Amino acid sequence: MKETLIAYFNRSAESPALPTRRIGKYGIFLAFILLCVLLSLMTPRFLTVANLTIIVTQVSINALLAFGVTFVILTGGIDLSLGSMVAVTGVVAATFAHPDDYPLVVPIGVGLLAGVLFGALNGFVITRSKVAPFIVTLGTMTIGRGLALIISKGRPVSNLSDSFNFIGGGHLFGIPFPIIILLVAFAVCSLILKKTVLGRYIYAIGGNEQAARASGIQVSRVKMWVYTISGLLAAVAGIVLTSRITTGQPNAGVGFELSAIAAAIIGGTSTSGGSGTMAGTLIGALLIGVISNGLDLLNVTSYYQQVVMGAIIIGAVVLDGLNRKSR
Amino acid sequence: MKRTSFSLIQASILLLGLHLAGCNQSGGDGADGQDKIVVGVSMLSMQNEFIVNVADEIEKKADEMGVELITVDAERSPLKQIEQVESFIAQDVDVIIMNPCEVEASSPAVTKALAAKVPIINVNSATSSSPTAFVGSDDVESGRIAMEYIAKRLGGKGNVIMIHGYMGQAAQLQREQGAREVLKKYPGLKLIAHQSGEWDRAKAMSLTENWIQSYGSNIQAVFAHNDEMGMGAVKALSDAGMKDKVVVVSVDAIPDALQAVQKGTLDATVFQNAEQQGSKAIETAIKIVKGQPYDAQTLVPFQLVTKENVAQYMK
Repeated sequence: MKETLIAYFNRSAESPALPTRRIGKYGIFLAFILLCVLLSLMTPRFLTVANLTIIVTQVSINALLAFGVTFVILTGGIDLSLGSMVAVTGVVAATFAHPDDYPLVVPIGVGLLAGVLFGALNGFVITRSKVAPFIVTLGTMTIGRGLALIISKGRPVSNLSDSFNFIGGGHLFGIPFPIIILLVAFAVCSLILKKTVLGRYIYAIGGNEQAARASGIQVSRVKMWVYTISGLLAAVAGIVLTSRITTGQPNAGVGFELSAIAAAIIGGTSTSGGSGTMAGTLIGALLIGVISNGLDLLNVTSYYQQVVMGAIIIGAVVLDGLNRKSR
Repeated sequence: MKRTSFSLIQASILLLGLHLAGCNQSGGDGADGQDKIVVGVSMLSMQNEFIVNVADEIEKKADEMGVELITVDAERSPLKQIEQVESFIAQDVDVIIMNPCEVEASSPAVTKALAAKVPIINVNSATSSSPTAFVGSDDVESGRIAMEYIAKRLGGKGNVIMIHGYMGQAAQLQREQGAREVLKKYPGLKLIAHQSGEWDRAKAMSLTENWIQSYGSNIQAVFAHNDEMGMGAVKALSDAGMKDKVVVVSVDAIPDALQAVQKGTLDATVFQNAEQQGSKAIETAIKIVKGQPYDAQTLVPFQLVTKENVAQYMK
């Protein structure tokens, strides 16, 4: 294993064109497998069905956000309001989720609607004002946090119905429900990206916005879609989180946008747009989850976890740079 | 209720204003306070339920006493808090009530207020430089009460896990200190793992899930530094079907936790009296301004809440 790896890297140094591209594309998968092998050697608690199930459940919220922001980053944008959208949608859903108040569709429906509206607002301001997405979503991030506090009056919204709490805490066929939501979202997002016109337009805009516009793509409309999808997925994440901790927290999701963006970038989504896949993002999110779980199992303090995570993000971006230079 | 959200909006607008201005200009018309006493209040975080309760009580008492309040939210940033106190000094308030963000980093705010001859009262948690007066609870005591309860329930023998608050905050440091004092007393009690859950329910839940994987049935008790994290631990343990074998204790007695104690999912919480902290703080502030005798240190005691006495804490 070690020899072949060394040989692989040596080879890439000699003939950089093809192999580095391959490392860029498969490096993250390789790193992920390597990390899992390493952790299973270090602790017998890692590679058990129960532990792996927990990792995927814990990862689901970040992965949902990361799928959404992958669409956004692919168009060359960014969405910093993810964490605030999680809080707003979670608090809104919780407000309608008290036992015997409304049927389950109401809190879910209203929560999702809140996310769609918030996302659409992001898209609207970005496409109309031509202000950088970084600035616009920085603004809506603050607005969202304020809204969550206003709606909840600064206090957690608790006493939620059992049916609502099933979303984040229940099992279907023995599988935790958040994992099922994660898999469905992954399938749908991959399909959108690979098989639909919207997906092709998204790549085109990220690759070269001028050219995309010249070839007749309605760039603004595509961007509206992208931010709205990001809002919708943030709402799904918000509802899953609220249900998982059985309370709507106005201060939930602080910093979630950064983990989601990190997952997308570690997974090979180019920060300048145009290239990246949902599978990569999923692996990126899993990688973050595995590191955090593994270091907890090894009883390493969370301070070191942050150092490791930062190093991995930088590593991923460096790989991305190598990858693009070789093209 | 209405008033809370309104003052929150006010606070955020004020903060945003400070932000945009990038510096601490004195707020326009300032205080014409010959007749009416003006109190500047800087709170640690209006996103924390307990702190909101303290702030609400200060506001209620201030209304009763006919005192004008300027309440701002430091959003957990000691730097912002210092700027807010500077701005209070510039506005020439009569007295300042501060709910410090951090032991060391919020200290300059105290020093600055005292240098400007504005009395300052720390409420809820301490700073390293001593203010005119302190109103709060001795957090070491809450850690001690919680761990004593665990020791009693386990008969002085067993493995304990501790979930810290934000590392370095007064409440975290003191609750840990109190807990460790008790641990030393019972050599049979072993602290097998401890880590920061950053006061957050979801984080503490993930942490506990992971610990269940590594320690399983070797965990006999969990001490979480606040109720939010305690509830997260309870959820993780219940999901794993282990809750009836593990004792969970946390601090604050928020409504959620009281309900859980009543249901028997959370074994105990330690009640910190937000109402009394708030009212004593503003009372002390007024006494100082009026030149009346006051207590330089008012300690509001903690109380252990279990299933037996939970009813009296529920509203």
